[in-house]
Amino acid sequence: MTRTETELEITHDDRSSHDVILEVRDVDVTFDMERGTSRVLDGVRFDVHRDEMLGIVGESGSGKSMFASALLNAVVDPGQTSGEIIYHPPDGEPVDVLSLSESQLERFRWEEISMVFQGAMSSFNPTMKIREHFEETIRAHGEDIEERMEHGWQLLADLYLDPERVFDSYPHELSGGMKQRTLIALSLILEPKVLVMDEPTAALDLLMQRSIMSLLGNLQEEYDLTIVFITHDLPLVAGLADRLAVMYAFEFVEYGPSEQVIRDAAHPYTRALLKSVPSVDASLEDMHPIEGESPDPVDAPSGCSYHPRCPLATVECTQADPDYHEFSEERGAACFHWEQSGDEIEYALGVDPDEFPESTAAFESEEETVVSLDDVDVHFEQTGLIDELFGKESVVRAVNDVSIELRENEVVALVGESGCGKTTLGKTVIGLQEPTAGSVSYRGQDVWEAKAGSGDYEFDDIRRALQIVHQDPGSSLNSSRTVRASLSAPLKRWRPDLGPSDRETVIYNLLKRVGMKPPEDYAARFPHQLSGGEKQRVVLVRALLMSPDLILADEAVSALDVSLRVEMMDLMLDLQEMFDTSYLFISHDFSNARYLTEKSDGRIGIMYLGNLVEIGPAQEIIHDPKHPYTKVLRWATPPLDPDEAKEANATDPPIREIDIPDPTDPPSGCPFQTRCPDAREVCTREVPELQDTEGAARVACFREDDDHEYWASEPVESDTVSLKTESKAD
Amino acid sequence: MRYFVKRVVHAAVTLVSVTTITFALFRLMPGNPSQAMRAQFEADMEAGGGTADPEVLDAMVEQHIGFNPDQPWYVQYAEYLQDIILYQDFGQSYFYNEPVFDILFTAMPWSIFISVYGLALGYTTNILLGAAMAYKEGSRFDNYATVLATFLNSVPYYVGAILFLAFFGYELGLFPTGGRYNTDLQTGLNVRFMASISYHAVLPVMSSFIVGFGGGALSMRGNSIRILGEDYLRVARLRGISSTRIATRYVARNAILPLYTQMMIGIATVFSSSVLLEFIFTYPGVGWYTYDAVMRRDYPLLMGSFLFFTIVTLIGILIAEFTYGLVDPRIGSGDHSESY
Ligand code: SF4
Ligand code: SF4
Repeated sequence: MTRTETELEITHDDRSSHDVILEVRDVDVTFDMERGTSRVLDGVRFDVHRDEMLGIVGESGSGKSMFASALLNAVVDPGQTSGEIIYHPPDGEPVDVLSLSESQLERFRWEEISMVFQGAMSSFNPTMKIREHFEETIRAHGEDIEERMEHGWQLLADLYLDPERVFDSYPHELSGGMKQRTLIALSLILEPKVLVMDEPTAALDLLMQRSIMSLLGNLQEEYDLTIVFITHDLPLVAGLADRLAVMYAFEFVEYGPSEQVIRDAAHPYTRALLKSVPSVDASLEDMHPIEGESPDPVDAPSGCSYHPRCPLATVECTQADPDYHEFSEERGAACFHWEQSGDEIEYALGVDPDEFPESTAAFESEEETVVSLDDVDVHFEQTGLIDELFGKESVVRAVNDVSIELRENEVVALVGESGCGKTTLGKTVIGLQEPTAGSVSYRGQDVWEAKAGSGDYEFDDIRRALQIVHQDPGSSLNSSRTVRASLSAPLKRWRPDLGPSDRETVIYNLLKRVGMKPPEDYAARFPHQLSGGEKQRVVLVRALLMSPDLILADEAVSALDVSLRVEMMDLMLDLQEMFDTSYLFISHDFSNARYLTEKSDGRIGIMYLGNLVEIGPAQEIIHDPKHPYTKVLRWATPPLDPDEAKEANATDPPIREIDIPDPTDPPSGCPFQTRCPDAREVCTREVPELQDTEGAARVACFREDDDHEYWASEPVESDTVSLKTESKAD
Repeated sequence: MRYFVKRVVHAAVTLVSVTTITFALFRLMPGNPSQAMRAQFEADMEAGGGTADPEVLDAMVEQHIGFNPDQPWYVQYAEYLQDIILYQDFGQSYFYNEPVFDILFTAMPWSIFISVYGLALGYTTNILLGAAMAYKEGSRFDNYATVLATFLNSVPYYVGAILFLAFFGYELGLFPTGGRYNTDLQTGLNVRFMASISYHAVLPVMSSFIVGFGGGALSMRGNSIRILGEDYLRVARLRGISSTRIATRYVARNAILPLYTQMMIGIATVFSSSVLLEFIFTYPGVGWYTYDAVMRRDYPLLMGSFLFFTIVTLIGILIAEFTYGLVDPRIGSGDHSESY
C-alpha cells in the first residue's frame, strides 16, 4: 500500500511552522490476544522536530516502548501497526515509514533512524567481538569500511572509551556502562538523522546514566542528531530534553517545552507524576503516590483513560475522550479541566537548601546496637580459566575493612555504584555471607561463633532476627503457593502458640494494612496473580512476620515503577514503627535512599570499591556532602527544578574518569584516587581512614584533616571529564 | 594453568582407579580366573602327554594375565600397573593367544570409523533439524519432527540395529549382514575394497547414528528458539544484517555451543554402544572383541577393552573441557557479576 504523492502533500499542509522530521499520524499498534485485542498504541498523533532532544516519559505499560518501535516500523510480531509515520529527510522526498517494503526498511533503519534498546547488556552477540559488530553493520549497508570504522573510532573516543580496547573485546568483557556507550556508537556508525533511545540507561548506575545523558547532548550537537529519549525517569530527562511528552494509557496526554511542562504541568496525570517522583530536591511532604493502577490495554476505560484515577474527573470525562487543548503552537494537554488542575493538584519543585536545619552535630543515639561489624573484609577469589593460563590470580575485595553499627529502629541506607560491595556488605550484616576477616556480632554475640555452636544466642534465632527482602520479589516467592500459604509458614514456625484461625486473622490484618484489600481475596492468590508491587509487599510482610530486628532491603524498590516507589517506601516506614525493626536499605539511587532515611532520621553510608567512604545523618550527606565521591553521586542525582537542573547540566561532573576501576585490580592508596578531582600525590600512596568531621558524618578523605601532609602534596596531573565540550575539531 | 593440571590429574586418578577396580575384580571374580586358567593349562598340558611343571604353569599364567598369581597382591598389582604404563602390556589374550594390546589396536580403527561417522551424521542431522524446527516453530513440520525426534530418542539403538539388520539385511538383502569387508577382495587402497568397506559399514553407521540422534535435535531446537528471542538478534535484524549471516553467525553458533560438551561426552556413549552394535552386525571392532571376551571368559582381553573404553571416555571429556574455553569466549575469563 504505497501512498501517492498527493496524499502525502495533504499531510504536509498541517505541518506546523517547526521543521518537522517525523510526523506520526493516528498510529495504532494492536496485538490479538485471547482475551481480545490489546491496543498498546491508541491513535497517536505527534510531531518530532528536527535536531531536538525529545523526552518521552511514561510508566511501564504506558505504550512508550511501542511508540519507539513504531518509529522504525519495528513492532515485534504479531503486533499490527497502522496509521502513518512520515519521515522528512533533510533533502529528498518524504517517506511513509509504515508503507516501506522489507528491503527498503532494511536500508532505512540505521541509515536514517536508528535505535538503542533497553537491554544494552544483551544487544551484542556474545560470541562475536565488538569490531565485527561494527564491520558487519557497515558491510550490510554497503558502505566504505575504512572510512566508517574511522568514524566509529571517533564516536567511541567521544564517548570516553578506548576504541582500540573496545573493538578487540568480546561483549562480556565490557562493563554495563561501556556496553551501553558502545551500543550508542554502533547505532550512530552510519550517521543516522534520528536516534531513538528506549530506556537506554535504566539498568545503569546513576552516575553512568547522567554521564551518558550529558554525552548525548554533545553528540547531538556534534552530529546534528534528533534524539527521541524514552524513559520512566522524569528527572533524568527533565534538564536535558528540549521538549517533553508524557504518555499515559497508550497515548500522549501532554507535550510541550520541558521547562514549561515541569514548572506548570497542565494535565492532572503529569502533575500527579511530578508529585510522586522521589527526587533529591523536592520536600518530602510533597511526595505522594498516584492512587490506582495503570489501565489494561485490552480494556482501556472509555472517555478519558485517566478518569478512574483522576481527582478532577467529571461525568463528561467518562463519556468523551478529550482532545488536545493547545495552549500555544507547541504546547498541548488532553484534558477537559486543565484550568483547574493547577489549583487541585499542587506540587512543588526544588526546595531552597537553606531551609534545612543544620543537622545536630552530635548524632548519638541511645538505642541499643543490633548488629555491629568490626574491621570486616570479604574477599572473593575469582580466577577464571584464562586467568589461570596466564598465571594471574584475581581477588575481588568486595568489602574492605568496614566497621559499622546498626541500632534498634534505625534506617541506614548504603549507596554506591554496582560492584561497590554494598550487597555483599548487606549480606554480611545479616549473617548470610561469612567475612574473610573481622567480626560480625548480633547484640554482642559473634554471629559466626554462634553458628559454630558456642554463644548465648542460637544461630537460628539470629537468622530469624535478621531478614532479607530482595530486589526481585518474584523469585523469592514460591510460585505454587498461595499468599496465605507463604505467609502462614513463618507464623507456624515462630509463633507456635497461634491457632489456625488466629494465624488467619494476623495475616488478613497485615494484608489489609499493606493495602491489599480485600485480604481474603489476596490471600487465596498465587504469585503470578499479583503485580510486582503487590509481590514486593507480600515478601515484606513475610519478612516482618518473623519479628526480625533488622531487615536487609536489597534494591527493594528499584524494580518498581517510579510512581509506586514512594508508596512502597512509605509502607516500609509505616511497618517499621509497627514492628519495631531496623532497615538496612541498599540502593544505587540517591533519591530513594534519601527519601527513606531522611523521613526516618536515618543514616546514609556511601560505598566505593568495597570501602565505606562516608557515613552520616541523611540530611548532612545530602545537603553537605564532604567526600569527593559523595559529591559526584550528588551531582549525578538530577534535581527536578528546571533552573537547578540547568545549572547542574552546565557543570562538569567532578570526576576524572567515567568508568570504575577493575575491582580485581584496585588502585593503590585511596580507592577513589584514580577518579578524584582533588587527588594529590599522597593519595596514591596512603589509604585514608574514616575520621570525624565538623559535622556528624565520618569521612575517609585526607581533606578532612587540616594538618594532613595532603595539603603539602603535589596535585596529580589530568583534567576532569568534560561533558560539555564544544564540538571537537579533529 | 592450575586448571589444566587439575583436570589432567583428575583424569589420571580416574584412570588409576578404574585400573585398580579392574584388577580387583579380576582377582575377586568367582572361581578366581587365574586359578581357573592355571587348571586349564595344566589339563591341556597333561592331555598333551607332558607333565605340568608348576613353574612353567606359573610363567604361562603370568604371561597371559600380566601378573604372577603366587606373589602377594600388592606386588601383583604393582607389576600389573608397571606393565601397562611402561610397556603398554595388557597381558595376552587367553583365546587368541596374542597380546591384548595388538588385538585392540588393530580393531580400534574400525570402531572409530563406525562411531565417528555415526556421531558426525547424528549431530549434523540434529543441528540442521533442530534449527529448522526452531525457525518453523509451531508449524506442522515442527510438531511432526518433535514427535519423531522424541520417538527416536526413546527407541534403544540396539532395537534399531536389529530392525535394520532384519529389514535391510535379511528381508531386502540390500546390505551385508556382517563383516567389515568382502574377504575375497584384495586388501589395500583400491576402489573396490574401499567400496566394500563403505558398503559393510552402512548398517552399523546407521544404527550408531541413532545413538547420537534424538535428544540433540530437541535441545538444538530449544536453544535456537531461545536465541531467536534474544535482544541481540532483534538488534542485528534492525541493523540490516542479512538473514544468512544471522542464521549462521548468530543463531547457529550460539545454539550449538551448549551442545558442544554434550557432543564430546557423546563420543563415549557411542563407543560403549559399539559393544552391542558390533556384536549384532558381527563387525570385528573393539566392541565385538569385548563381547566375545565376555562370552569366552577371556579375562585379559576383557580387562584390556574395559580400560580402552575408560580411556576413550576420559579423553572425550578432557577434550571437551579444554576446548570449550576456546570455542566460547565467555568461559574462562571470569565473568564478573555485578552483584558483590
Ligand atoms: S479529562 Fe477529566 S479525567 Fe481526564 S484528565 Fe482531564 S479531568 Fe481528569
Ligand atoms: S583521599 Fe585524596 S583521592 Fe581520596 S578522596 Fe580524598 S582527596 Fe580524593
